[in-house]
Amino acid sequence: MTAVPTLTPPRARRFAATPGQIALALAIAAFLLMFLVLPVATVIYVAFTDKGTSTFTLVNFYDFFRTELFMRSLWNSFYVSAMSVVWASVFALPLAYLTTRFVFRGAALVQTLGFLPLIMPPFVGAVAMQLFFGRNGSVNLLLDDWFGFKIDFMEGLNGVIFVQSIHYFPFILINLSAALRNVDRAMEEAAQNLGSSGFRLFRRIVFPLAMPGYLAGASLVFVKVFDDLATPLLLNVKDMLAPQAYLRVTSIGIADPMGYVISVVLIVASVAAMWLSARALKGRDYATTQRGGGGLAKRVMTPWEAVLGYGTVILILALVLAPHLGLLLLSFATIWSFAPLPDAYTLAHYGRVFGESSVYIKNTLIYASLAGGIDIVLGVAIAYLVLRTKLIGREWLDWMASAALAIPGVVLGIGYLRTFYGVTLPDGTPLASLWITIVLALAIRRLPYALRACYAALQQISVSLEEAAENLGATKSRTVRRVVVPLMAGGILAGFVTSFSTAAVELSATLMLVQSNSDAPLAYGLYVFMQSAAGRGPGAALGVVAVILVAACTFLSHLIIERSQKAKGLGH
Amino acid sequence: MNAPLSLTTPAVSVDIAGVNLSYGSNHVLKDVNLAIEPGEFFAFLGPSGCGKTTLLRLIAGFNQADTGHVRIGGRDITDLPPWKRDVGMVFQSYALWPHMTVRRNVAFGLEERGVKRAEVERRVETALGLVGLGHLADRRPSQLSGGQQQRVAVARTVAIEPKVLLLDEPLSNLDAKMRVQVRRELRDLQQRLGLTTIFVTHDQEEANTICDRIAVMNDGIVQQVGTPMELYERPANLFVAGFLGTANILKGRVVGSDGARAFEVEGGVTVPIAETTELPENPTLVFRPQHATFAAAGGVAGEDALGLPCTITHREFLGASIRYGVRIGSTEVAVDMPFQSGSELRESGSQATLKLSPRSLRWLPA
Amino acid sequence: MLNRRVALAATLGLSLSASLATIALAQAPSGKVTVVTSFSKDVTDPFKKAFEKAVPGVTLEVQNRNTNAGVKYVEETKSNNQVDLFWASAPDAFEVLKGKKLLTAYKPKATGIPEKIGSYPINDPQGFYFGFAASGYGIMWNDRYAKANKLPEPKDWQDLAKPVFYDHVSIASPARSGTTHLTVETILQGEGWEKGWRILKEMAGNFRSITDRSFGVPEAVNSGQVGVGIVIDFFAFSAQASGFPVKFVYPTVTTVVPANVGIIANPPNKAAAEAFIEFLLSPTGQEVLLDPGIRRLPVNPEVYAKAGADYPNPFTDPRFQKMIGFDVDKSEARTAVVDTLFDQLISFQLDALKGVTKTLHEVDAALAKKPNPQAKALADEARNLIAALPVNQVQAGSPELRGAFTGAKEKGARQAEIESQWASFARDNYAKAKAKAEEALKAAK
Repeated sequence: MTAVPTLTPPRARRFAATPGQIALALAIAAFLLMFLVLPVATVIYVAFTDKGTSTFTLVNFYDFFRTELFMRSLWNSFYVSAMSVVWASVFALPLAYLTTRFVFRGAALVQTLGFLPLIMPPFVGAVAMQLFFGRNGSVNLLLDDWFGFKIDFMEGLNGVIFVQSIHYFPFILINLSAALRNVDRAMEEAAQNLGSSGFRLFRRIVFPLAMPGYLAGASLVFVKVFDDLATPLLLNVKDMLAPQAYLRVTSIGIADPMGYVISVVLIVASVAAMWLSARALKGRDYATTQRGGGGLAKRVMTPWEAVLGYGTVILILALVLAPHLGLLLLSFATIWSFAPLPDAYTLAHYGRVFGESSVYIKNTLIYASLAGGIDIVLGVAIAYLVLRTKLIGREWLDWMASAALAIPGVVLGIGYLRTFYGVTLPDGTPLASLWITIVLALAIRRLPYALRACYAALQQISVSLEEAAENLGATKSRTVRRVVVPLMAGGILAGFVTSFSTAAVELSATLMLVQSNSDAPLAYGLYVFMQSAAGRGPGAALGVVAVILVAACTFLSHLIIERSQKAKGLGH
Repeated sequence: MNAPLSLTTPAVSVDIAGVNLSYGSNHVLKDVNLAIEPGEFFAFLGPSGCGKTTLLRLIAGFNQADTGHVRIGGRDITDLPPWKRDVGMVFQSYALWPHMTVRRNVAFGLEERGVKRAEVERRVETALGLVGLGHLADRRPSQLSGGQQQRVAVARTVAIEPKVLLLDEPLSNLDAKMRVQVRRELRDLQQRLGLTTIFVTHDQEEANTICDRIAVMNDGIVQQVGTPMELYERPANLFVAGFLGTANILKGRVVGSDGARAFEVEGGVTVPIAETTELPENPTLVFRPQHATFAAAGGVAGEDALGLPCTITHREFLGASIRYGVRIGSTEVAVDMPFQSGSELRESGSQATLKLSPRSLRWLPA
Repeated sequence: MLNRRVALAATLGLSLSASLATIALAQAPSGKVTVVTSFSKDVTDPFKKAFEKAVPGVTLEVQNRNTNAGVKYVEETKSNNQVDLFWASAPDAFEVLKGKKLLTAYKPKATGIPEKIGSYPINDPQGFYFGFAASGYGIMWNDRYAKANKLPEPKDWQDLAKPVFYDHVSIASPARSGTTHLTVETILQGEGWEKGWRILKEMAGNFRSITDRSFGVPEAVNSGQVGVGIVIDFFAFSAQASGFPVKFVYPTVTTVVPANVGIIANPPNKAAAEAFIEFLLSPTGQEVLLDPGIRRLPVNPEVYAKAGADYPNPFTDPRFQKMIGFDVDKSEARTAVVDTLFDQLISFQLDALKGVTKTLHEVDAALAKKPNPQAKALADEARNLIAALPVNQVQAGSPELRGAFTGAKEKGARQAEIESQWASFARDNYAKAKAKAEEALKAAK
């Protein structure tokens, strides 16, 4: 062959994005800047200003690292988050493993019930939990009666770990289950064939192969616990970072930058945790590229294994659903005070809720659906741009969206008021007073959940399937619409459900933005009820309604997607 | 490939007796009985869905038989779990663990057996040396080519010095050229280790070239067991005849009796049947394309040869031979004639007489 | 108000013209009036109903937020204010709003309301906010819990410092709850700065928890998670009305403080906002307070005639007359300092404080059996160490210290620096006290 001078441009050109992709990236960046970065920046810039002069300074951070309370809080937050991940894993692992790798009767039910703890309505949830596990809750009163001792489930840091791991373990359950379903059965069999079995098999082969899913879930749990302020405050634990930030930001009459300094620390720590978990998987090839038999074949348990398996599942479910049971009892209770069970039962609370609160329910459904919808559109778009294009700075979209996880709701709420209240519609109504602002705030707060789900779903689709479509003449956008999105449907749905159901019970940002009772969502209704002794029963009833509603929507969307998957021949 | 692996255990037999297996109403294995000799390279051959992989997985312990037994070296292992069987299996997808390096993959089985660290390292080296991949020990599976991955899978399996080696379509993910090379390597390795090996394939050429004996399976039933030549020469039934090489099958019925018996092929042509020939119930006449010739113009030469009138329908040039499509009665058959340059070709549409030696005819039940 | 309605009627009567009527209607209160409140639905619903009945054509739009969030909200939205009224308990929240010029002055026309309740002025002297109901602070406890744990009935603040109440008492953080802040301030004013803090810290040694919202305390007492709570009276009264097994007592050092309402600066519907205030102060509005779900003390003495005999009446009950006066200016000047002191000396050092308190209780028990002057002296030293304060009363009220907390423009100490100093002061003292207490315990045994 003779040397032919190459006239083609350098290879790198091949990776340049299409104009459509650039436009999409810019649009998303603009959206995030407008509704996330800008509002938050208007609040936390205080962290970088000097007292009195308002000039730029880092002295506040110096103060932060020098204050014993903050250092203790920082350490406690790390400790509690890490331990919550451990315990959440203990709850999630058996449920995920048993329901995905074995023929397990009621696996779908376990998966649905295992999702419920994530939908814990604010305030009432904590009250129900105290009534069950508290120092004088049902369990401890009975223990004290029968055996003369009590267990401090809900005391101090351990209490926070207990409640948080119950609350957030579904993140691990959902992600790990998806990953386990994708582990090729041959991988497991090859190990058995070489003499491995039981827990060693799980530890050495199955679990490492499901690592991407596990890490996705675990990092979410870590960050959520790190940034959650409601649970520590309800357990009266104040020496953690998120509650410290909240207490300082919302104290009246005090203009202290420390609250915002802590917010900045929270955001940095959360993004770092996400980055680390992504980093840990980088350059590794996992379950996604496996071929062959597929992971859907399930093993049959021996009778002995079945007893152990069902026993474990029932025990875990009983533990993690106890708060919901407590909530249900509370909603029917007349008076429940210092007793294992309520004094008497009534239906009156439900009567009051249905009479007064249907507007909250309607609003919640609208807001949460819209927020979930926005989230999956953004989630798919960001995941696609990050994973499938070579746009410069595309990871920043991911980091930005993920950082939303770490922003305290109250900071976002204040930021929205500050940024959008001055902007008025032609008739003089401030932009921030429209209910769409609540939807946007919810969408931003829950975007990280949907994004992670869409990301994982896209990672599991072989690029060759898209190349095949392009080869057959489909443009990039048509390929996305006709091949990528249908294949991602499961992940998209998971993202929607997570966003939707957690948005439905979101409180902190909403509380700041609600402008009128007629625009208020359910969480606000709960808050209003839970401010008085007489409101406890109706509050619990509203909480039950919320849980049932969200669970029903979750289940319904599962059914819909399963049916359409089956129609496409994708399901099992 | 150098350093031979020292196998301390002598080769063992594999006996499968009366095995039945059903998935619900789907009867996947029907009364399977096989005796595989120590040190034999044995193939399960059949189309997809015939039950060959199911049978292999049953030996490995991943499927449980409803009835029957599996014995290895005389020991009943039917109820042993997979991890206690000492039966090495190479998976079709190789099932290399992506989170471990090649070295850790190969070491896995030894570690599970509690082999001492130094010994593990030594045996990993030996096993990788055996497949010629010692220099890639620290790569990850995703950094290897298909052929290399296949060899790692083999090394991982032989490293535990299994009693029996099971290969599940090990060549199916390789390209044509690699396939020929790797199958030779596999045979070579098996010979050196003297290991009883069972090989599952749907490709008759693979089975013929490397296996000592083959069990042809269809529909969950072992159709015939024999050496490749036996199966080709003396197929036990139409399925075996048709699955191994090309077979011409003439359907028809027997007319007359005793010395005057004849076979009337569908469409009218009659073939006389020698008195000594034993016929099965409802017989079918089978012959290979290369066992027929065309009679020279003017008649059948040779006393015992049969002459059948036929019509040439088409012609294919195959290189070493020419394949004619020939119609006898209403049945179309293939006839291969060696190609010599200058030899006369028959045109399609022309009439001819097909010459068959009775010794090359097989009478098989329909 | 009345005049205007007469005028309206007159206009309507005289004129048959539809257009004239429209103009007249536009002048009368009508449309939507928005109120930001910390009161629960049980309070706001009866008022909304009664108000909309009394002033037809006006809709009361209730925005429920806790006091702190409400203040923050009003502050953040002042550029385009949509809120007419602020309606909450804590007078200091109104002081903050007033200080930030977020309230409008008004002069109510209602009659029959005295100047003071107890010794606390009912209305803001400058007319920016008005008391509409009174509340006293006290001690609430769960009867079942008390019986199960054999707790005596507390009568006074000091009772809560007794060993028997160790780990049974709960309070809201004064930095978070305006009402608790007033309770703390009441004790400080009633007992004096030094002694007040001493009592507070002795009580705090028995604290089970310090919640971050006012209602957290009655909630915990109602459900029996905590035995005793320091709360505002109506929490206990409304819980009793709902059937919870709880009791309540006013200690001797307490005060009645009005719950307030005020008009936000630049209200979108000023006429309706004024109408609402007039309604609250009218006898009809005052009677709504007697509702079993609300149970607050009306500021119009005549309304008590309609209440039951057992309804506490601060205007006639001698207990309330004894209650101390409350210096609003003093309280206002040191709000942030008191709250931060409480947080740094008590909330964030609670474990250490409880640890040494427990040991001191053990010393007391040992001394009761066998007196020992040396142990007694050591225990007293420990108590003095606990009671020590990083700032005295004068410093607490000084503008310099105040500036550190309220973002004063001039350069000065940063809040974080001061907090850090106070925290280490408390930590060191509690550690020393713990050592002394251990020593005392050894000596006493």
